[in-house]
Amino acid sequence: MARKPIEIDCEEVWRQISNYLDDEVGAELRTIMEAHFRDCAHCSAILDGTRNVVKLIGHGKAFDVPTNVSQRFYRKLNDYLAAHPKKRGR
Amino acid sequence: MATAEIQLGSEATLIARVRSGDHEAFYELVRPHERGIYLAALSIVHNDADAEEVIQETILKAFKAIGRFREEAKFSTWIFQIAINESRMKLRKDRRHLYDSLDDPVKGEEQGDYIPRDFADWREIPSEALENARLREALTKALASLSPKYRQVLVLRDIEHLNIAETAKVIGISEAAVKTRLLRARLQMRDALAPGFDGAWKKGREYEKVRPW
Repeated sequence: MARKPIEIDCEEVWRQISNYLDDEVGAELRTIMEAHFRDCAHCSAILDGTRNVVKLIGHGKAFDVPTNVSQRFYRKLNDYLAAHPKKRGR
Repeated sequence: MATAEIQLGSEATLIARVRSGDHEAFYELVRPHERGIYLAALSIVHNDADAEEVIQETILKAFKAIGRFREEAKFSTWIFQIAINESRMKLRKDRRHLYDSLDDPVKGEEQGDYIPRDFADWREIPSEALENARLREALTKALASLSPKYRQVLVLRDIEHLNIAETAKVIGISEAAVKTRLLRARLQMRDALAPGFDGAWKKGREYEKVRPW
């Protein structure tokens, strides 16, 4: 059975890969890209890697703010509220 | 969706409490967004000391302006916007903006074609891999290696999960520009990290291949 020819080149796939992951491409382009990924190991590897990046960095554990740092975030607010004792609820 | 609605509902309750004089509620309101504010500031000002100053000012300004917060908006979007503005002001004050294209709209250089650094095959990895301190360190290094305009978009969209329209609003650029920058940011992150995913994280081999550019 004859293979369906690739209808989009790799450069165009790379330009659209992020939109593809965000479901921001039209149905026709999605179908063309899916066919390309089936036939092109390089683009398929880039798709998997990019998807994994999005998944990894979106995970709550990927980036932490050190606790000792976050306590200092409220310093100016604390000072402000201390200077306005009538309104102070803390 | 239900979770988002509950979140918005509890946000509205907290905001109402703050407006009625319960200042403790403001701390509760901000706490879930500490990391996002921190990363948003750090994506612009580069060092922890400046970021801390920006964050302190952001939180104070948000508290003072809470009366002007529109109920239909998301608190996270609103406070991230304040953080981004404060960070830019900090840069301007330091005069470093003269050498930084952070505020510029999309320019030609973003239209340039992307060429992958390699085609490393990166299979699915379990999220437990994030227990690996070396992986978290590599992620931090990779994020730091991005140029500020790409880092900002990645932080808001992929780490803090704002949608494209919200990301565009916070940064003050078009949705098309968000998409273009997001593409670059994600591909550069992949380039930086993918070579480590040929088994280094799982097999415990040393991996120091995160690439600076």
